[in-house]
Amino acid sequence: MNPSLKLLLSLLIAVEISFTRSWTVNLILVIASIIWLLINRVAYRKIGLLFIVPLLPALAIGISMALWTDEGLDFILVLITRIYAYVFVGSIVTLTTSLPQLVASLEQNAKLPSKFAYGFLGAFNLIPKITAEVSIIRAAGKMRNQPMHFWSPTLYFKAILASLNWSENLAEAMTSHGFVEDQPRTHYQVIKIPVKDFYLFGSLLLILQILLFMIHLP
Amino acid sequence: MNFFKAWHLRDIITLALISIFFGVIYWVIIPLYNILTVALTPIGLGPAANDILMGVWVMAGPLAGYLFKIAGSATLGELLGSVVEMFLGGQWGASTLISGIVQGIGSELGYTVTGYKVYNWFSLSLSVITTTIVTFGWDMIRNGYNQYHLSLLLSLFIIRLVSTFFFGGVLVKLIMNLLEKSRVLSAR
Repeated sequence: MNPSLKLLLSLLIAVEISFTRSWTVNLILVIASIIWLLINRVAYRKIGLLFIVPLLPALAIGISMALWTDEGLDFILVLITRIYAYVFVGSIVTLTTSLPQLVASLEQNAKLPSKFAYGFLGAFNLIPKITAEVSIIRAAGKMRNQPMHFWSPTLYFKAILASLNWSENLAEAMTSHGFVEDQPRTHYQVIKIPVKDFYLFGSLLLILQILLFMIHLP
Repeated sequence: MNFFKAWHLRDIITLALISIFFGVIYWVIIPLYNILTVALTPIGLGPAANDILMGVWVMAGPLAGYLFKIAGSATLGELLGSVVEMFLGGQWGASTLISGIVQGIGSELGYTVTGYKVYNWFSLSLSVITTTIVTFGWDMIRNGYNQYHLSLLLSLFIIRLVSTFFFGGVLVKLIMNLLEKSRVLSAR
C-alpha cells in the first residue's frame, strides 16, 4: 500500500478506537495487523517484540482501573486491548515502510512542500551524529566535574548550539547543490497511488465502521 | 499557504535537528519511566508515572514555539519529535504521531492566545497550562482517566501541571536565557 495512504489509515483507526469501547474490535485490529505484517514478511522477532513493549503500560492501566475506579472487567479489557491495538496498527507503518520512503511519498502524494521533505531527510540522516554529540556533551561535562542530567539547561543549550551550526552547514550544502525553495521539482522515482490502494483503504475503513456501529460487539 | 511560506530551509533543518536531539535525550529517561511505572503499579498508580514525566516529553513544543516565534512552530517541533520517536524508539508506531500532534497543539495554543506577539514568562506559562489541559483531556478519553474519582483525577492533573511547569516552563526559560546571553540567536 502507498505509504501516505497507509499512514493516514493507521492514524484514522487509532483516533477512532480512542473514542469507541469495544475490546473485540481492538482485538480484531491486532490480529488483522499481525496478518498484514506477516504478508509483508516482517521478521517474527520484530512482531514478537510488539507483544512485550506495551505489556508494562497495559498492566499499569489495568491494575489502576481495577483499584481506583468502579469500572468492571469490560472497560479494563477495552483499555488494555486499545493499547495493543495502537501498537500493532501503528507498526504497519513503521515496520513496513522506511522513513525516506514515507517522506518521498508525503512529498509527491500528500503535497508536503519539498523544502520540508528534504530538510527533514537531511536532518534525519544526521541521527548517528546527533547520538554521538549527546555522548560527547555529557562526557565533556563529566570531565569538568559538571555531570549533565536531563534537567540540566546546559545539556539542551549545547544541543541547540550544535543544531544551529549544523543546520547552517546543511542548508548551505543543499543550496550549493542546486536546491531552491518553493521551486517545482521533477522526480527520478515517481510514486503513484494505485487505484486498488484507494479501494483497499476505503473497504478497510468501511469494515471497521460495520464492526463498530452495525454489529454491536462487546 | 501562509504557514509554509514563513518557514525557510535552514529553520526547518534547525527545528528537525533540535527535535532529534530532544528525542535522543528522552531515551535517557525511559528506564526511569519503567522503574516508576513498576514501583507505582502495585498501588494502582502506574499511569501516574506518565504524569510525573509528562513535562519531559512535551518540552520540545514550548521551546520550539519560543525559539522560532512562528505560528505552528510548537506543533511542528512536537510532531517532528514524535516522528523521530516513531522511527527510532519504534515500538509505538504511528500512534506516537497522534500524541505528538495533541501535545504540539496544546503547547501552540498558549502562544496563539497572545497572537504570537508576546514571548516572556507570561506566554510560556500560558503554553504550560494549555499543554497540561489538552494532554490531560486526551488522556481522559484515551486512557480512561475520566473514570477516576475526582480527588485522584485532580491529583494527577496537579502532578502533570507541576511537571510540565518545571520542564516546559522553568527549564525552557533557563535554556532560552542561556541562548539569549550567548547572542547566537541575534546573529541569525
